[in-house]
Amino acid sequence: MLKPEKMVKVAVVGSKGKLSLASEILYRMNLLHIESPSETEDFKIGTPSEKAGQISRSLLQLRSYISYLKLDPGKISVKRKFSKREIEEKLSKKLSEYQEEIGRRLEELKKINDTLKSLEAERSTIEPLKVLGVPPNLLKGYRTIKCFVGFVKADPVEEVRKITSDFDLIIKNFEDQLVLALFVKTEHAGEVYRVLQGFGYKEIAVPDVDYETRISEISRMEEELNERRKKLEVEIEELKVKEADLILAIEEYLSSEVEKAELPLKTLVSKHTFVIVGYIPAKNAESFKKELEAKNLVVEQLSFEEHEMPPTKLNNPGFTKNFEVLSKTYAIPKYKEIDPTVLMAIFFPLFFGLMLGDMGYGFLILLTSLYLKTIFKTEGWQKLLNIGLACGLTSIFFGFIYGEFFGPFVIPGSENPNEVHFIGDTLAALYAFNHGHPIFDRVEEFGVKALLFIVLMIGMFKMLWGFSMGFYNVYVEHGFKEAILEKGCWIFGVLGLVFLIFGFSYNLGIFTSPPPGGFGEILPKNLFVYGNTVMEAKAVPLPIPGLVDGWQAGLNYFYLATLPLIVIWLVIFLKAEIPKMGIFGAIMAVELLTWFGQIISYARLLAIGLSSVYIAFVVNYLSLKIGLEPGMAILPLAVVIMLIGHFGNFLLGILDPGLQSLRLHYVEFFTKFFEGGGKEYSPFGRVKKFIEDGGE
Amino acid sequence: MVEALISDEAFIKGCAAIGAGLAVGLAGIGAGAGESGIGAAAVGAIAEDRGFLGLGLLFTVIPETIVIFGLVISFILMFAY
Repeated sequence: MLKPEKMVKVAVVGSKGKLSLASEILYRMNLLHIESPSETEDFKIGTPSEKAGQISRSLLQLRSYISYLKLDPGKISVKRKFSKREIEEKLSKKLSEYQEEIGRRLEELKKINDTLKSLEAERSTIEPLKVLGVPPNLLKGYRTIKCFVGFVKADPVEEVRKITSDFDLIIKNFEDQLVLALFVKTEHAGEVYRVLQGFGYKEIAVPDVDYETRISEISRMEEELNERRKKLEVEIEELKVKEADLILAIEEYLSSEVEKAELPLKTLVSKHTFVIVGYIPAKNAESFKKELEAKNLVVEQLSFEEHEMPPTKLNNPGFTKNFEVLSKTYAIPKYKEIDPTVLMAIFFPLFFGLMLGDMGYGFLILLTSLYLKTIFKTEGWQKLLNIGLACGLTSIFFGFIYGEFFGPFVIPGSENPNEVHFIGDTLAALYAFNHGHPIFDRVEEFGVKALLFIVLMIGMFKMLWGFSMGFYNVYVEHGFKEAILEKGCWIFGVLGLVFLIFGFSYNLGIFTSPPPGGFGEILPKNLFVYGNTVMEAKAVPLPIPGLVDGWQAGLNYFYLATLPLIVIWLVIFLKAEIPKMGIFGAIMAVELLTWFGQIISYARLLAIGLSSVYIAFVVNYLSLKIGLEPGMAILPLAVVIMLIGHFGNFLLGILDPGLQSLRLHYVEFFTKFFEGGGKEYSPFGRVKKFIEDGGE
Repeated sequence: MVEALISDEAFIKGCAAIGAGLAVGLAGIGAGAGESGIGAAAVGAIAEDRGFLGLGLLFTVIPETIVIFGLVISFILMFAY
């Protein structure tokens, strides 16, 4: 948790004859992440074993069938597993059977498709001629007459007449074009051809067939071929259903054999020995060593140096594992870095719920996720849908707090919940708690103000937290001084900003006025340096000397605390930047404004939610007005508006909070501490899906 | 003329409301202009590689912060006056 799994570097050494045995064992254990070695004087990279070539040819052929059959191992749930022995026995027989049964049929299908295409092309030349109604022997074979047969866009008769009056023209409509046969004397042929080109002339090659008979022949052939094609497709489909498991099992077997046979490419070999260097998780080191040493192979634990980078195996417990897909999209953490997946697992659904916050939509997300979980069985989908479940639950939780079920059911200023919600009275009665519900109403003024402040607090907290973790990461890698210069100074800077925001809020009366002006009197009212009152300070929330008259009134102790923090930040910052960038380093100090912007950016937690609340509210209000007395009383229209409105809002409600929550992590949080750039742990071996474990 | 019809307080309140509207609206236009370029590029990238969908969507929403700034300003305007 929070750290990738600990790795140890090992070398597996043995006599050359045992390499294939070693590859069998290593493949089965599926533990060793093998590093690509570099050759030395005595140790060269090995050559793949002889059978590799033949196996990969068979594999290639099988995979081409698999892609024709559209068999996706990720999408197929396993009905039956095969033992390795069974596959080895059947292998050659089945491969030739597939070549016969599937390969032959696929080839025939391809041939049929080609023939169909050429028949179609032929038909498209004959049909216009049939419309023209001139038999083929009259369209060619003249000595002194040139006959043009083809498509044109418009009737060229006027233009042709300008050249010669001695011609004969037959022209007919065919679909959206014109088809013509034009007879002219050969001496005019060149000029007429140029004219025809101006009309977009496309020539038709006249075949020596009787149109009627040929067309009926084509139709008959097409019918036959289509029938044959259908039959072949049904046969292939039957084979696919029957053999899917075995085909995929054979594919799995062959690819594992190929990988094993190619292990020497990652191995260093001398005259008599081989060495494989790689990483394994530390917790498996003991058993790994024991198992290999039982077969007379030597396992030597190596120490790795500072600059070496072991592979990263993310190590997250239980439910948080689902969120690895989200953090990995950003980057894979380096071996020594903090892995933010667990934090993501906590805050992603929390932010999502905070934004969406609606029991109705939450239930919908929950139910949809549960339903889709029964359909999409692959690991990736299951993980994604588990994230959906978490988000649904938090949405319900926050929906309960906000008092929203497909939109808010209590609106301040409206006495009658039934006016703003289709089951408003029921909901209001259900959750009444002596009118204590909603617990926190984000629709009215105080709610917005309070939530804005709360989400900014979350922003400041996460900003500081992010920098603290960045501090830790740099401290681990480069030591204390670097950490202070690179990340520590920003902690002071952001802390300064935090006090600045608090000072501003204090002047607005957030901590001193009773609701709806603020949270009530949670701080004393006399925190002003010049002894002013809250009322006076409200006029100058941002006291900037020289810019605002009477700025003294707004100067409170929060602002006073801001000053030294900013000074400390600036001193450290300049100390870090000036040696690197010279005087331009000082300009970089404007970066502090970026962090200010990023704190404010957390206001989206409020904003996205508010937009979704108001859309739901408008949909409810509108449909109630349309559907019931004393409104228009057109109930069906109201129902349609309500369904469409809520469906659209629901889709937006998944997309937007999801994206924005992700973005708050990637942009505002991860950038403070998470560099990434690690390589993922991918051990030699494979998790078997279609082949039984053991039996080797 | 105006002074005769409405009070100073109402006038300030009205101006603040207009300002709040402008803050969100103009920021929205800015963010939209920013997103248009990113969105087009993202769609192009997704057309080449479906796997880019998640990241592309994410890039597209990055300029939305600008609207949030506008929104915060509008809140402050509405609360302060």
